[in-house]
Amino acid sequence: MLSYNALLEMFRQNSVGIPIITRKLVLYHTATKVAYIPPVTSLFAKIPILNLIVALIFWKPFFAVLFAPGLVCILIALLPIIWFERKVTARVQWRYGPLEISRDIGGLIQPMADGMRYFFQEVITHREAHRPYFLQFPLLTFLPVLLPILVIPAGTIYAINTPYSIPAAIALISLIPMIIVAIGWASNSKYAYVGSLREAFMYFSYEIVLIIAAMSMVILYGSANAIEIVKEQSVIPGVILNPLAALVFFIAIVMATSRFPFEIPEADPEVVFGPFVEYTGIIFGLVMTIAYEKLYLLCLLFSILFLGGWNGPFIPPLGDLSPVLWLFLKTFVLMMIFVFFRTFYGRYRLDQALKIGWSTLMGFAIVGLGISLGLGAINIAGWL
Amino acid sequence: MSEMKEYSLPVPVKPPAEIESLELPVPPGLDEKATKGDEIVLFVGPQHGGSGHMRLIVRVHGDVIREVIPDPGFVHRGVEKLAENKLYIQNIPLVERPAIMDCVNFSLGYVRAIEQAMDIEVPERAKYIRTMLAEICRIGTHFYDAGILSVFLGHTTGFMWPFALRELACEVLMRVAGARITASYVVPGGVRRDVDNSTLNYIYEATTYIQRKAKDFERIFVRNPVTIARLKDVAALSKKEAIKYGIVGPFLRACGVEYDVRAVEPYDAYDELTWDVIVADEGDSYSRFLVRVNEIQQSISIIKQCVKALKDMPQGNIVSADIAGKKKAKEGEEKRGLDTVKGAFFRLFGRLTLPAGEYTTLTEAARGTLLYTIVSDGKSNAPYRLRVVTPGWCYLKGFMESLKGCRVADLQAVYGSFGYFPPEADR
Repeated sequence: MLSYNALLEMFRQNSVGIPIITRKLVLYHTATKVAYIPPVTSLFAKIPILNLIVALIFWKPFFAVLFAPGLVCILIALLPIIWFERKVTARVQWRYGPLEISRDIGGLIQPMADGMRYFFQEVITHREAHRPYFLQFPLLTFLPVLLPILVIPAGTIYAINTPYSIPAAIALISLIPMIIVAIGWASNSKYAYVGSLREAFMYFSYEIVLIIAAMSMVILYGSANAIEIVKEQSVIPGVILNPLAALVFFIAIVMATSRFPFEIPEADPEVVFGPFVEYTGIIFGLVMTIAYEKLYLLCLLFSILFLGGWNGPFIPPLGDLSPVLWLFLKTFVLMMIFVFFRTFYGRYRLDQALKIGWSTLMGFAIVGLGISLGLGAINIAGWL
Repeated sequence: MSEMKEYSLPVPVKPPAEIESLELPVPPGLDEKATKGDEIVLFVGPQHGGSGHMRLIVRVHGDVIREVIPDPGFVHRGVEKLAENKLYIQNIPLVERPAIMDCVNFSLGYVRAIEQAMDIEVPERAKYIRTMLAEICRIGTHFYDAGILSVFLGHTTGFMWPFALRELACEVLMRVAGARITASYVVPGGVRRDVDNSTLNYIYEATTYIQRKAKDFERIFVRNPVTIARLKDVAALSKKEAIKYGIVGPFLRACGVEYDVRAVEPYDAYDELTWDVIVADEGDSYSRFLVRVNEIQQSISIIKQCVKALKDMPQGNIVSADIAGKKKAKEGEEKRGLDTVKGAFFRLFGRLTLPAGEYTTLTEAARGTLLYTIVSDGKSNAPYRLRVVTPGWCYLKGFMESLKGCRVADLQAVYGSFGYFPPEADR
């Protein structure tokens, strides 16, 4: 049993270092005098309960899951990406897109306004639904969304430093389709049934190639630890070493997050938003964002595996947040690319998506694995 | 390999109550049978995102459609019955209502039946104006259908671009007739008002713009690999089947039958213009779509020829002298009609009465052959009976038959490839 002070000390030992918040800011420094602004966190250092809360917030594992790259970062990424998706699609289609809410910034806070609308809408549970499951599964989605953050590091901020971080992250992300299928089952409607079946089939078609592509990079770098992997890419990013695996991983992400042209489980003219057909109000708002959250997680993995993760020039004022910023920027740019597909692709049929997943994509994945094996052998021999 | 055995799970599924309460046109016990077996019955529509104003009752085995039973009639407005209580001239806005974007083709068929009954010769200029506007409406309708097909395939850009281009067709109609859609522009004996040269210039520019932008649309949607994958070899009908099920219009031509009323029984100015009948051989969804995409180009060429011919003609004389019937021609001069119907509308058309008999016309509307039959008793100023056979109703059977063996996701793709428009079919 830890005492209060031991707990506080434990949190402080492993706290996030952000100069402008947690460190002293030196105003000027001469031979005799030092003038500095005390860190914001020190305001609470002596107050009994608050100091523990503040220490907990800046405790690295907690900070990773709830702030960066966790929940807050997901929300920060989510709002502009939904706006960007609508705006860029509108620009291509000779329209304005969201504009009326906050005209000066081009309707940037439109997703917030939509969320507010969802809040005040009635949540309808239809008679046929399995009521407890129907209402609880959308909330449960936060589990598979936030658990992978435990093992995905962002620079020095991480919850668990494990040699199995990449496989563990992929395994935890794979739980999301389970929740979606369960949602479709709990809805107990024909369209939700067809939609969740489609989700299950899509899961079939991308999961194996996604794992093969990730594993081929693990083989190439000789480590499954994300920190090691990023260190390996300090000179050449993985996308140049094994472009085929990157391509396969990229297309698998498109399939996994039901972006176009693989927006099959939620196809609205066919199965009317598929598994989520019966949801209304704020719960619909929650299930609608699942795909975006998954996109964020997989883009994090893509930037770590192929784009050098948090490698980038160090920004001193941000301290520990500097690598997080680089990782976040790479992830956000990737997300922008993924949502752009909406403008110029239609939707494949389910059987065509399965065929692509198991023939073309599988072939590429295996060739990519071969490339990795070859390069890995050279790496072990020490020529690289 | 031994044959796979199917296991049925005792899932407690009850057939939905609406199967009795909605009086669906299905054989009794369809849903019970399907639920007990390995099929499910999907009710697509009428408030479904991809059904239009109709209900499709789809029997699905796995992912394959076994049978589709249509339940049309949700937008039946009784055009034929309403027409019996209106004057002949009042029926023109009415008959346009089934296919709002295709208004000129629809009123053209009806008006030509009246002209046939009264033996009216339409002035040359009115003929060209009619032809030009009919083709504008054809372009508008084809763009509308292409947009619907695109959004059914999830391609939102392919939806927005044709709808924006359709605006140009609406704009042309507005400048010529005063209404964006349902122009009620064609009247017995000619057209309602003349088209001046600046409007003709606008039409020429608009069609040139459409031609240029249609190429962009082809690049982003028509030749898109996803579109080709979704439409190629889907719901193909052979030439024989197409004739058997009574398919009409571009969908019949897509099956390799070279039949176009404009070419076979030319009306208005079609026999004086040069254009091709677009035919494809495959009969699948993609060729059904391609035929219409290419027809847009043909229509543009027809419009440009019409604009050129109209510019060379003198202004005026757009309502036939046969119906104006007042001015006597002087010696050596041709009988000249009116320049506008303004001020003479009620005198000309208020007491319009057809001689007794039955008059039938065939018109090539955008979605296919359109038939009007007017039965007149010779005394009344309203038709005794008006029969309208719209193309949508004709190809509904073929549409349903072609869906057999398709995937569930193909339902909307085939729907869009036929450009099925329930208000048109239901009348």
